[in-house]
Amino acid sequence: MSPLERGALWWERFTSQPLYVLAAMLALLVVYTMGVYRKQMWFMLKSLRRNLLRSILTSLATVVLVLVVTLVWSILYFLDKATSEKAKDLKAIVTERWQIPSQMPFAYAASLSEGAAARPTDVRPDDNMTWQFYGGTIDPGKRTRENTVFFFCMDPRKLLTMMDGLDELTLQERSDLDHAIDVMVKDKRKVVIGKDRLAAMKKRVGERIKVTSLNYKDIDLEVEIIAEFPDGRYNQSAIMNRDYLNDAMDDYNAKQKAKGLPTHPLTMKSLNLVWLRVPDTDAYQRVADQIMSSSLYSSPAVKCETASSGISSFLDAYRDLLWGMRWLLVPSILVTMSLVIANAISISVRERRVEMAVLKVLGFSPGQIMALVLGEAILIGGLSGAFSSGATYVLINQVAGGLKFPIAFFPAFLIPEDALWWGPMIGIGTAVAGSFFPAWSARTVKVSDVFSKIS
Amino acid sequence: MGLEPIVRVRNLHKYFLRGSEQIDVLNDLSLNVPEAEFLALMGPSGSGKTTLLNLIAGLDQPSEGEIWVGEHLISGMSEAQLARWRTRHVGFVFQFYNLLPVLTAYENVELPLLLLPLSSAERKRQVLTALDLVGLSNRLSHRPGQLSGGQQQRVGIARAIVTDPTLIVADEPTGDLDARSAEDILNLLVELKDGLKKTIIMVTHDPRAASRAERVLHLEKGQLVHDTAHASW
Ligand SMILES: Nc1ncnc2c1ncn2[C@@H]1O[C@H](COP(=O)(O)OP(=O)(O)OP(=O)(O)O)[C@@H](O)[C@H]1O
Ligand SMILES: [Mg+2]
Repeated sequence: MSPLERGALWWERFTSQPLYVLAAMLALLVVYTMGVYRKQMWFMLKSLRRNLLRSILTSLATVVLVLVVTLVWSILYFLDKATSEKAKDLKAIVTERWQIPSQMPFAYAASLSEGAAARPTDVRPDDNMTWQFYGGTIDPGKRTRENTVFFFCMDPRKLLTMMDGLDELTLQERSDLDHAIDVMVKDKRKVVIGKDRLAAMKKRVGERIKVTSLNYKDIDLEVEIIAEFPDGRYNQSAIMNRDYLNDAMDDYNAKQKAKGLPTHPLTMKSLNLVWLRVPDTDAYQRVADQIMSSSLYSSPAVKCETASSGISSFLDAYRDLLWGMRWLLVPSILVTMSLVIANAISISVRERRVEMAVLKVLGFSPGQIMALVLGEAILIGGLSGAFSSGATYVLINQVAGGLKFPIAFFPAFLIPEDALWWGPMIGIGTAVAGSFFPAWSARTVKVSDVFSKIS
Repeated sequence: MGLEPIVRVRNLHKYFLRGSEQIDVLNDLSLNVPEAEFLALMGPSGSGKTTLLNLIAGLDQPSEGEIWVGEHLISGMSEAQLARWRTRHVGFVFQFYNLLPVLTAYENVELPLLLLPLSSAERKRQVLTALDLVGLSNRLSHRPGQLSGGQQQRVGIARAIVTDPTLIVADEPTGDLDARSAEDILNLLVELKDGLKKTIIMVTHDPRAASRAERVLHLEKGQLVHDTAHASW
């Protein structure tokens, strides 16, 4: 993508979010106001500097509280996003109905991939993908996390069309991956592994490895690594042609039969997931109905969900926790912040009653005096908030590599870019809430009360 | 220059309510102050001098009566109107200077100008002129804490005149100063009157300060009486 295209894309995304546009306009307004009223800003800054300790403590409290809110909101933000339905081009997951982990007979694969469409009027999915999990170690003598690898066994041709996040590749990455897929289709022994996993196993592209299986006991496979995934979310992943696993299973069972021994325990249980892509929620609903009402899947029974409804039902276990975070923790932090600011500002207003009266004598209107007090609070709240969310963003995303909060199957949460404006907004919002009454009392200071000796 | 006095106070009443009790401070008070006069107000403590000064400076509203300053009827203005009017038309000098401690001498003097639509160059010129007039051109970046009482009061005067008001009101401007500094401040006020034709109303307890004024009035029982010591008035 050229920089120009990238810029245009960014602009389009930016302007499609009314909240972003609003925030940008607000930021411009703030910058403009700061330009026009720079002397007043200077005065506010100096006033804040007068009781430096109090200002620093207030600021620190704001920083810490904004940090907590940013972390909590980041988690809620990602969960909300993951559970909110994409109305178009959504993916459905078919799994075993009553059991986790899901284990279905591979015989289900063909019809499930068609969405159990039987009659001509039935809806067929646009695309599909089957997943079979095959895990093993390259050092059966001494298995460790490092020498263990889990393969998604699938039709390699579905890699580009059905896997998430592979649509943002550069042309070079894409053609490399295309080539690898061709090779995998021709030779089922070839596999693609992510670079971090390779590094952990101390293996490179081009090497052959012998995998001693953990879940498919006695079905050990020898594979050749022909490529690694493009850098990104698949750095820990590995994929294999499903034919290799299925053929190996058939061979094993043929030999067992010849010896009069039972078949492999996973024979009827080797299909873990089927992914279906449907154009819209309507199509999804019909495909789901077709599958649920089909007589093909009775033992075991299956269920069909969208990715987000799957996550939602998973998150149900955490519902109270999340509800508490959203509706108890965050509001109480916001109230605390307002109180901290209210306390600091009202002390400073009380200390400066005479000063406020002097400003009035000089011709400052009640509104202007109120604005000065609010401005001080907004300055300290906004700056602390901006600093806090900015630092959180950099520290969590760049330094710590995400927030490790084990909920559902999300390994880590990243602080979204949106957080960069949550910080200043929270800071300013709580500052206004907290300083409103102190500012109002500054506004109503009566000059004649301050300067006459009331006997 | 009109012959009409610049400050015209007509039948002024001011009372305060303390609970159900009404405290009459100013009682049917009338006063004319011609342009470019230096007037001193004296009177016992609690006689209402500050109250009168505040009313003339538009810091408070009378209970009854009218106050005119120039062509403005200030007794009829709202609080916001008064604030705007004060910026341009009155300079206030306090007994305890009341400079803002966080700002430098320069910034303190600049403060009232921030309320006017001036370019920063104009602002700078006016601040420097005012500080030059009070003889503090070499103390621009000092903060009040780094200045003597007399110097602080001169900054206070510079702040009062920086917007070029016609009327300057001063409430015991020498009350907190030693004799030497008080003398300097009084000289400065006389200079403002003589050189710049400012109208000055000063409240004072100090007969020596009052003697520098052209006219001295005494406030007694809520009304003004002429100073018998000044035969010319
Ligand atoms: N805001 C107010 N509320 C109630 N009473 C007031 C108020 N301002 C002044 N007074 C009363 O009005 C009277 C006059 O007060 P004022 O401050 O004008 O006296 P003053 O002549 O300036 O005294 P001093 O020489 O001590 O400064 C006093 O009795 C005072 O208590
Ligand atoms: Mg007084």
